[in-house]
Amino acid sequence: MSDAPSAPAFAPSVDAVMEALSSQEYVIDRGLATAVFLAVRLEKPLLIEGEPGCGKTEIAKALASATGAELIRLQCYEGLDASASLYEWDYPRQLLSIRLHERDRTTSEVETEIYSERFLLRRPLLRAIEGSGAVRPVLLIDELDRADEEFEGLLLEVLSEFQVTVPEIGTIRAKRIPIVILTSNRTRELGDAIKRRCLYAYIGYPTVEKEVEILRRRVPELPARFAGEIAEFVQRLRGQEDLAKRPGVAETLDWANALLALGEDTLRAPTVAETLGLLLKDARDLETYRKARLGVVLATP
Amino acid sequence: MTDPLPSSPSGQRIVGRLQGFLRRLREEGVRAGSAAGVDLGRAMQVLPALDRNAFRNACRVTLAKSPADLARVDRVFDEYWSSLGSVPVPPASEEGKRPRSHERRGAPGPLPPARRPRAEAADRQTVEGRYSPQAPSLGHPVAPVPPERLRHYRSGARRFRRATATLPGRRWERAPRGSVDLRRTARHGLRTAGEWVELAQRDRARRRSDLLVLWDVSGSMREHTNELFALVHVLQRTIRRTRVFAFGHEIEEITPLFRGQSYERALPDLGGRLFAAGGGTQIAHCLSEFRRHWGAIVRPTTTVLFVSDGWDLGESPDLAWELEGLRRGVRRIVWLNPYAADPGFRPETAAMKAALPYLDLLTSPARFPRPYRNSGRRGEGRGAA
Repeated sequence: MSDAPSAPAFAPSVDAVMEALSSQEYVIDRGLATAVFLAVRLEKPLLIEGEPGCGKTEIAKALASATGAELIRLQCYEGLDASASLYEWDYPRQLLSIRLHERDRTTSEVETEIYSERFLLRRPLLRAIEGSGAVRPVLLIDELDRADEEFEGLLLEVLSEFQVTVPEIGTIRAKRIPIVILTSNRTRELGDAIKRRCLYAYIGYPTVEKEVEILRRRVPELPARFAGEIAEFVQRLRGQEDLAKRPGVAETLDWANALLALGEDTLRAPTVAETLGLLLKDARDLETYRKARLGVVLATP
Repeated sequence: MTDPLPSSPSGQRIVGRLQGFLRRLREEGVRAGSAAGVDLGRAMQVLPALDRNAFRNACRVTLAKSPADLARVDRVFDEYWSSLGSVPVPPASEEGKRPRSHERRGAPGPLPPARRPRAEAADRQTVEGRYSPQAPSLGHPVAPVPPERLRHYRSGARRFRRATATLPGRRWERAPRGSVDLRRTARHGLRTAGEWVELAQRDRARRRSDLLVLWDVSGSMREHTNELFALVHVLQRTIRRTRVFAFGHEIEEITPLFRGQSYERALPDLGGRLFAAGGGTQIAHCLSEFRRHWGAIVRPTTTVLFVSDGWDLGESPDLAWELEGLRRGVRRIVWLNPYAADPGFRPETAAMKAALPYLDLLTSPARFPRPYRNSGRRGEGRGAA
């Protein structure tokens, strides 16, 4: 499948993965580290599902930084197709080339010329497969649940064979199998075929201890006691039954940075009310908690 | 690739245990195929062999494919790998075999070796039945509806799909009118030595329907199960982005019961698993639970289809509150009431009254997706779909 030796320099053990990601300020538990380790060692794509804002995308970034690899990101959306994800011919340049050479070359020469790799626009999947760097690139296929089912079908060949067939050129095989991370927010169920080809991990909301650690690492200026206060408040907020959208870790980090920027060193009701929009992203939630429930959440030990 | 599973006697024993483990997982509903088993074998080769936690994590990573699977893997892992004693190696023919229908339905059948002693002990105990409002009422088979009714539902589902897919999406498609598609025009130009003979047109493709079915399976809906099962199944097959949730006093997703199954196959296979929940309906509570656990799947393009008779034990103001919240995040709310086909039907139950201001359409299975008989053209809610 791959021409390169499969034994990777990175990730000799689960501990090494934890250490490497930890050095990128990514707080990771052993279960998730095992998933990353196996994805690297077994050369299988890793599908990460979980709550929004809890570090699914971040893990790919941290992995790329830790390995010194190129991060190739494919953001999925409805309507994403082969021309935006795999490759496309550079039609304007092809036309220009036809015009330039129509007098001095034969038709077949022109045809060979315009369907060469020079006129191929490489999109993220092809770039990941061609990966020219010294280490395996990290391919992040982000929010796959936003793409259509047809796109999942397109991914099947790429993720199982790590090759792309361009009819005019031939089959391009991966020189180094990329480390593939797929993320999904579970807005729809992904197909069984794509799941079968992937290892699986789920990232839920962190415990209060883990969230404090994330805050301490990502916002180092935050005093320890204040970080604990913020984490506990966010945990209590997440525990509210009637929230339409619960704040993720990303919201906690934004909020902590905002509180620091405002010069706060402890949680005070007026400031919390003013900045609550950084945590609650639903208008009804915001209205409810600003008006009536904030005091209860703040006061609860 | 090296052989993922060792061929020594001890290796064979491990293979046997793993096969038994995979079989137990499949009985619990985890779709762990042979490829997942091979992945687990490969994972065991690169992880510390005697580290139980590493093995558990490897099982979670390679065998589970959803959060529900993770819970099942954990449960079966504790149960299966805690049992001591030798376990016979299952015959090779068992590998890859689909569980028998009674196993899939959870009916009594031959249990796997690791679980048998506990199950036999349980069998010897006298089981005393008591009433519990939380308990499901007895299951009942779902009968097929006549073919002409199925055709009627299919036609209604197609109309519904057209009516609910109205927003232009981000995707472009060929169109007789619209804007000039330069890319396609240029591509076609290559066939004529670069001359643009014809300007290709394109327009925004219509976004697909995105449907959430919330199906009341309480006791009062039991007599309509055949019709509703057929309709929900047809909807799930017609609109690919459909997720189905069953509710009574609790709510749970049942989309996997429909996925990839034809109506004829789904009937005997899945009908036995649809239990009408006893203890009454609490729509507001279930809706609140839905928004809490599955709120992220609701999008501004989503159409929510309630399938309920509106007999509710919960508080109407709570239902109105929940529906108001839901209303803000979705495109349409449609209520399918099986009694709405009756000539004398009026939406006068407390739940229906509370829901009406938030509905775009109130309809019945027989008229789906047209408004119910006694309404105006646009229903008594906000307007027809």
